[in-house]
Amino acid sequence: ARKERKRRRKSRWGGEEEKSTLPGLMTVIPPNMTPMQQECFLIHLKIEDINAKLRSGDLGIPEDPGQRSPSPEPIYGANGQRLNTREFRWKQRLEKERHELVQQATKLNPKYNPPADYKPPDSRVQD
Amino acid sequence: PGMAGAAMPPAIMTKFGGATKILVLLNMVTVEDLKDDEEYEDIIEDVREECEKNGPVKSLVIPRPKEDEEVPGLGKIFVEFTAVGDAQKAQLALSGRKFANRTVVSSYWDEDKYTARDFA
Repeated sequence: ARKERKRRRKSRWGGEEEKSTLPGLMTVIPPNMTPMQQECFLIHLKIEDINAKLRSGDLGIPEDPGQRSPSPEPIYGANGQRLNTREFRWKQRLEKERHELVQQATKLNPKYNPPADYKPPDSRVQD
Repeated sequence: PGMAGAAMPPAIMTKFGGATKILVLLNMVTVEDLKDDEEYEDIIEDVREECEKNGPVKSLVIPRPKEDEEVPGLGKIFVEFTAVGDAQKAQLALSGRKFANRTVVSSYWDEDKYTARDFA
């Protein structure tokens, strides 16, 4: 069964053509970085990754349904449009992840400046 | 044995910029990914397959999360090549690539620490 699944699924690696183009971001960690610097660097990189996805609109939703979580029951708005579409849920997930990363970064460096398009999540209680 | 990186003269170590046979790949997997057995096996396969394009992979370690216990090296992937040059080739090829839509970052790990499975 494993072999069969292997043939069907796609590798997680992106192609050579989509190698990182995040400006000013290095992808090789210099050997003299302290663990603390490394942690800050990784958090920063993860935030940049998410920023790029949210900005471009290419949220990185896997094509392979096997790499996606099962869809929840649809929720419809007053106008009959589905609210919890896959795109909406991925965007929400990315924003939540980014929020957690910004919190981590702030904890490590109180002077940390979150990205310009970052907004803290709504503090009001949601049902 | 015989060509262990630790035995390399300091001048060569400097030239390699701290390169060893152990390549560390970061920012590729989440703790959630690693909890799932099938996903874990798939990730190992994907990483090995891509790394082997640069030289034989002697071993590969991806620490998995444990309940109520902090796991050193969690989130990192350690790949042991048979030669420093292969690890360097892999670093050039893989750094900056995407893995599950995350940007791959790489570094090297001390060979003695790796042999002792010390990922802290």
